[in-house]
Amino acid sequence: MTELIAPNVVAASTRSDRRRRILQNLLRGERPYMLYIAFVILLVVFSLSSPWFLSVDNFLNIGRQTTLVSIIAVGMTFIIIARQIDLSVASTLALSGMAAALAMSQINNSWIVGAVAGLGTGALVGLINGILTTQLSIPSFLVTLGSLSMARGLAMMVTNTKPVIITNETYFAIFGEGTFLGIPVPIAWTLAAMIVGILLLHYNVFGRRIYAVGGNPTAALYSGINTKRITTAAFVLTGTLAGLAALVLSARSHAARPDVVQGMELDVIAAVILGGCSLFGGRGYILGTLFGSLIIGTLNNGLVLLGVSSPMQLVIKGAIIVAAVAFTKR
Amino acid sequence: MELSGSVAAESVPSTSLVMVRAINKRFGGVRALRDVNLEVRASEVHALLGENGAGKSTLIKILSGVHAADAGTIEIAGKPVEFDSPAKSREAGIAVVYQDLSLVESLSVADNLLLGREPRTAFGFVRRRALMARAEAFLKELGIPLDTRASVGSLPFAYRQMTEIAKALMGEVRLLILDEPTSSLTSDEVRILFDAIGKATRRGVGVIYVTHRLNEVFEISQRVTVLRDGANAGTFVTTDTDMKRLVNAIVGTDRSVSIGARTEPAAKRELDPSPVLSFSSVSNDRLRAVDLSVRKGEIHGLAGLIGSGRTEILETVFGLRPIESGAIEIEGRRWLPSGPADAIERGVALVPEDRHVQGLVLDHSIERNVTLPRIPHFSRWGWMQQRAAARRAESAVARLAVKAPGASSLVRTLSGGNQQKVVFGKWNDPRPRVLLLDEPTVGVDVGAREEIYAVIRNAARDGSGVLVVSSDLVELIELCDRISVIVNGHVARTLVRGEIDDAEELHHLLQMYQASGLSLSQELSA
Repeated sequence: MTELIAPNVVAASTRSDRRRRILQNLLRGERPYMLYIAFVILLVVFSLSSPWFLSVDNFLNIGRQTTLVSIIAVGMTFIIIARQIDLSVASTLALSGMAAALAMSQINNSWIVGAVAGLGTGALVGLINGILTTQLSIPSFLVTLGSLSMARGLAMMVTNTKPVIITNETYFAIFGEGTFLGIPVPIAWTLAAMIVGILLLHYNVFGRRIYAVGGNPTAALYSGINTKRITTAAFVLTGTLAGLAALVLSARSHAARPDVVQGMELDVIAAVILGGCSLFGGRGYILGTLFGSLIIGTLNNGLVLLGVSSPMQLVIKGAIIVAAVAFTKR
Repeated sequence: MELSGSVAAESVPSTSLVMVRAINKRFGGVRALRDVNLEVRASEVHALLGENGAGKSTLIKILSGVHAADAGTIEIAGKPVEFDSPAKSREAGIAVVYQDLSLVESLSVADNLLLGREPRTAFGFVRRRALMARAEAFLKELGIPLDTRASVGSLPFAYRQMTEIAKALMGEVRLLILDEPTSSLTSDEVRILFDAIGKATRRGVGVIYVTHRLNEVFEISQRVTVLRDGANAGTFVTTDTDMKRLVNAIVGTDRSVSIGARTEPAAKRELDPSPVLSFSSVSNDRLRAVDLSVRKGEIHGLAGLIGSGRTEILETVFGLRPIESGAIEIEGRRWLPSGPADAIERGVALVPEDRHVQGLVLDHSIERNVTLPRIPHFSRWGWMQQRAAARRAESAVARLAVKAPGASSLVRTLSGGNQQKVVFGKWNDPRPRVLLLDEPTVGVDVGAREEIYAVIRNAARDGSGVLVVSSDLVELIELCDRISVIVNGHVARTLVRGEIDDAEELHHLLQMYQASGLSLSQELSA
């Protein structure tokens, strides 16, 4: 097909075009500014009402508290864009942490063994979730509802619900307590996960395919995309990130416990949706997820500083999440 | 045209029931209906004919309150009515039985019939026995042989349709609209359906009967209205007309003449004799011993009714349906596709039937859609070459003359014709060896249609083998070097250009093969 109007109308894109495209990649969303405005409003409200809120220490605090949610939310962004859901992430974290601590205690007390065991366990749970969802065509809501329960049960079974103590100082330094270029490592790992997420979603072939699978699975299939493999990969990515979060948590507390972070999957999903992902698939972006997670973290932090009782915190958090989604959705 | 106010034939009832006058409807830039008139009388079966896109569905949707007309009036029994919702239409006594049924499959026939108006006790509990009795009495009165206790999901298709019709007739129904009710029925089932329709008309119900099968028109209707390009193309008393005149009205004599003149030069084109795609006795769940060949540079048409297996032939080549026996070859090499990815790799491209569901990601940009099947070409080590992808999309927009602000525009915002050009843009470069087209101009306005024809011809001239499915017979005649007639998953006949003069002849041929094909399939199943 050669004819029909001019062949090459496209001028080489200028540098400013390129810069604009990068900005669009990072900030895009239905109404991107609403999210940032919501965040700023939150900051202003808490700054005015608590003298301790506006300090570097407190912000590092928020960063540390949101680490686990933020890391896993990067993976959840891929999953929700691909029209799936993963309810098992908190249980996967618990199981991966147990696997890492037990592997270290069994083999040489080596931090590398621990890291591989933790990440590998997370990836494996993700792989199983992905295969069950795509090969047996079971909705991922049900598959991961099942693995939520199974992974938690396994985590408790391996030690009969006892925590496993970790003693490797290098492990603590790398994943929990050290600093990297002056940044506390949990925050550094969060940033690393974000950057990898941005590259994968916005610049890699994988991201293109994820958007297509979530935007219209049939059209993606008809365009030669292996929709099952792409969906499974998103689950593996999320499982692996749950494993990373497990390393960070266990290194910070010098132990792995099977009953940690119960219910955290809801915070993760809330962060992703707040961040502008469509639950109907095909839309979303990593930076939005980061801000979604920060909003939830800031809320938790600010409400504590204000001395709100913890049951009341839950009520306020829930109401603000619903209100924010109502305002930011198109 | 044919019909004046004085209908003499005693077979046509005389009490006017529904009067539609000068209805107009516009969708964006497309005029779907222009000054359409229709009169249905009490106890009459009034057939409504026309090609796909002629405006039948739009007219039905206006009568059923799904769409509002832009201009024009509807009267029921002399009283003007205005529908702003399906509920209003239903209230006025109009019931529609759609092709896709609206029954709850897990419930019984009786439950479905009385859904939402179950007899109940003072406390809101359903009175099962009263419900069953009422459903049974109603079916008996209609003479429809249905088991009220059977769950709808377990019934054969014809009986589900019967349930649907019975449900439509519950309550005060004056006009029953049937939209292609026989498209998936066997001839025995058609018989049962016609009986049920007869029982309804005897109660004074008027029926609008939409169909593509002309023989049915002569069997059950008293009058026929034909729509073409959104306007009336004639209303006939069935006993005063014949198939030839109906086909003329459907296709439009003027259009087929002008096209015959224009396509003359194309006929003289010489074709490379080597087949780029060939089927030898290919069978699977929907195809029976299909023999077919498409030459390099040929445009080969597949004609047949919906459900005949036309689309399935394309799907089989594209790796969406496994081959059970027989063989497909592409450029002389055996072709056993493992899936669409494999097919695309081998140079097979498909422009699917439903561009919204199968062809496009509507909420994504033109760029994302155009590059979707070519992602490997626009990446190095897995990283997108964003600029190369953008450039390709821009050039596809320019080359196919897609009317859009730019390649970053969302596909959802484009008109039907421009959306279809984007689907073609997906397969623009590299040139596909085999280009499969399924209804390439459905929902595309006339101007864009010509542009799409040019794109198809160019693809063939550049050496692709093109296999095109279309319900628009004029389109097939205009485009194709050869046309294969598909009946019940089988190639009934392959026609070479020149063997057939116009769409009218092709239409007759299709009807003829369909009629004989039906009896053939019964023999096979017996």
